[in-house]
Amino acid sequence: MAVASQEHAWRAQRRSEQALGLLARVIGLLIVAAILARAVSVSLNENYPLTFWVSQLVNGLVLGGVYALVALGYTLVYGILLMINFAHGEVMMVGGVAGFFGLQIARSLGWLDGGAAALGLLFALLAGMGVAALTGVTLERVAYRPLRGAPRLVPLISAIGASLFLQYSVLLIFGVRPMVYQRPALIADGLRAGPVFVPYTGLIIFVTSLLLMGMLVAIVQYTRLGRAMRAVATDKEAAALMGVDVNQIIALTFLLGSALAGAAGVMLGFHNSVIKFNSGFIPGLKAFTAAVLGGIGNIPGAMVGALVLGVAESIGPSALGIPAEYRDIIAFSVLVLVLIFRPAGLLGEVVVEKRA
Amino acid sequence: MSARWLLSGLRTGGVLFAVLAYLILVGLPSRLGDATVPALAALAVGLFSLAWQRRGANPSLVELLIKGVVGGATLSTLVALLMGIIAALIAGGARVQTVLDKMTPPAVAAWFGVPPVAITRGELEAAAVLRTWLALAAAGLLSGLLTFGWQHRQSLRRAGGEALRRWLVRLLPFALLGLVLALGDPAVTIGGSQKGTLRLLAAMLSIVAGLVAWRAARSSREQALLGGLLLAGLAILPFTLDQFQNAVMGIVFIFVMMGLGLNIVVGYAGLLDLGYVAFFAIGAYAYAFLSAPFSSPWFSQQLAQWGLPTDQPLLSFWQAIPPIMVLAAIGGVLLGTPVLRLRGDYLAIVTLGFGEIIRLFMLNLADLTNGPRGLLNVAPPTVFGYDLGNPRDIFILALLGSGAIAFAALRLERSRLGRAWVAIREDEEAAQAMGIPLVRTKLLAFAIGATFAGLAGQLYAARQVNIFPDNFTLFVSIDALALIIVGGMGSIPGVVLGALALKGLPEVLRGVDEYRIVAFAALLVIMMIARPEGILPAQRTKAELGARAES
Repeated sequence: MAVASQEHAWRAQRRSEQALGLLARVIGLLIVAAILARAVSVSLNENYPLTFWVSQLVNGLVLGGVYALVALGYTLVYGILLMINFAHGEVMMVGGVAGFFGLQIARSLGWLDGGAAALGLLFALLAGMGVAALTGVTLERVAYRPLRGAPRLVPLISAIGASLFLQYSVLLIFGVRPMVYQRPALIADGLRAGPVFVPYTGLIIFVTSLLLMGMLVAIVQYTRLGRAMRAVATDKEAAALMGVDVNQIIALTFLLGSALAGAAGVMLGFHNSVIKFNSGFIPGLKAFTAAVLGGIGNIPGAMVGALVLGVAESIGPSALGIPAEYRDIIAFSVLVLVLIFRPAGLLGEVVVEKRA
Repeated sequence: MSARWLLSGLRTGGVLFAVLAYLILVGLPSRLGDATVPALAALAVGLFSLAWQRRGANPSLVELLIKGVVGGATLSTLVALLMGIIAALIAGGARVQTVLDKMTPPAVAAWFGVPPVAITRGELEAAAVLRTWLALAAAGLLSGLLTFGWQHRQSLRRAGGEALRRWLVRLLPFALLGLVLALGDPAVTIGGSQKGTLRLLAAMLSIVAGLVAWRAARSSREQALLGGLLLAGLAILPFTLDQFQNAVMGIVFIFVMMGLGLNIVVGYAGLLDLGYVAFFAIGAYAYAFLSAPFSSPWFSQQLAQWGLPTDQPLLSFWQAIPPIMVLAAIGGVLLGTPVLRLRGDYLAIVTLGFGEIIRLFMLNLADLTNGPRGLLNVAPPTVFGYDLGNPRDIFILALLGSGAIAFAALRLERSRLGRAWVAIREDEEAAQAMGIPLVRTKLLAFAIGATFAGLAGQLYAARQVNIFPDNFTLFVSIDALALIIVGGMGSIPGVVLGALALKGLPEVLRGVDEYRIVAFAALLVIMMIARPEGILPAQRTKAELGARAES
């Protein structure tokens, strides 16, 4: 009798759970339908020209490109360590600051005049990437490595601490004055196709993020280092037994991810013209959202998620006829809606939670 | 024999007097302000202990006590004589400062903890002199005990010394509370920049020591007795602190209320919620709407339409409690429903997004929330027409609220529901197989946690009077999460300690304002490395962390 009632309770529970999932999906569908209806009615009423939408799309793709550069680092670290590196946005900011000083040095050396500007820009980029990579590796060594194997929340808090530490150290050392990136003539302009204008910086960001994503996929899938990374991601102990130096691989992962973040920081500096001590926070948050949206741990997923997020943010407000201040609400709503239908993100597969 | 001990005490006291007199004369009182006496007493304890160490291989307790008392009395009497003479000279109109440059009336006043006029007018009370005398004399006594404990730490642990240690643990909170009282009402300064910080620190430490003592209690009878005494101590605390100190303690205990709620969601049920500020904001805004509807354009329009008075609160503070609890619980369920199927980090980012969405709505729905200009003139709680809006009464209310919530949390922890939460946290599949209804249990965790945060938000709105969307950023969620982790996840005393460390300590450190965030951040990292289970971990977590190296 007891067994039967137990089973009965189980079934009831199953049913209630399924009903809840169904309910969530139905509500999600209703919301999506409402959004679509709103978008159609707004686009019929407002009559924006097509070029308006095209330039909004371009803006969205550029924004998505910035998010992607940061999101790639997030997802790389998560894929290996199953850990949210909350300080990743700050590593990006440090890269931006280093890039600013690299640019100043290049200017004082006269590397930014005329055709030599490419050299100066490359120098700034490398400075940003190098310093960011150094910061990332140091961070891993000091704040994360001693915590390996601790419950999951512990490294998260440590990362929050590291994030605050980096922000306010930069504030203390360099002051509140924002660092202004002056674009050299070489990249000051942009492409014009009729009324649609694409700044060179945007173009560079988009192309670079695509290239870097391809490079990362290639590294992870086809190199010895990538194989070691995947081995560490699957099972640290077994990888160590097979002769993989786990610490070294994790440090290299951080090196790679942080160098990418540094590049993102320099490019963001050129695109937004300024870098401040808290410049890394919001892009970091959005990039994390993008990584989750695409399926965290999945490299192409981060790219897709970032582009979806960027486009949704830039087209959304005008498509729905609401003020641009609601951009962030749109970003997070997209995330919630996508996760209702695909709980593991757009490209993510269902991972066994026991690993985490 | 005892004559030698007396002599030794006298001599050591004299030597220490020279050291302390030097420090006083070079201007320590004017630099440290009212912190001078405690600082010098602490120094005296250290120096006395060092002195007793060198003499005799294995002195008895009686010997050390005699030496300590005699040394302390010698020291404090000599210092009291010195300072008394200086004070008398100043009062008599002599120009002490021409010889002893640093002995200004404010410096002497700071030493005795009285306002400068009392020195210049010669109105120095005996009580003030006695207080400094007692502080230094106690230093001598303490050094004797400490030295004995140090030299006998092995044998102490074996025989009876454990009892001494336990008495120390039991008495420490009351000693610290005594220090709070002894420091007196005139504002205490550190580095001359902010008032009252030392006293605030002592008050906070006394609460921490109280928690430690309460946890260390063996029998339930001892626990009840000690708990009662500690509560009595806590009850007089608001009346001894000044406005600034009460304001700080008020915000600390509002965060305790919130932390206890988050502790249920994260600590018990293991659902990582980074958007907890949403419920805090819901509670705060709900109370603002109910008590100050006139500051919201939409609400005042509605009121006018319905012919209701437009300058009155709709509900009083106490009447608003039930609707706010219900509203916050509904918010918790609404957030919980879509995210229930998500796990771990996905849950974290979605809840974070939810928190931001709430804040952004409050920022942008200007018709309803008055946008960034905020809701103004939120009504304070009242009792029989008596206004409870000042910092002291808010602190008392926060204490009462924390107490009620802590009690509820304690009962929940030990209930069937609490064990179901822990089971889900440890292994969801196994919990489900044991017949725990996942959906209901998780939603209850969200709803109850949200209710507590809503109440905290209500009190916060009453404290702030004017609330703005900027009061409810992601950092509030991060603070709340960090405080339960620093204190020890799933541990109720840990929440109090975490709140004191995270919200109280930065206020104490205002003197070193620009460095405090960096110091705090570094502390967070160091803390996670050195003691990841938190400062006062829950017994259950402690056992688990000990048993499992890897998770």
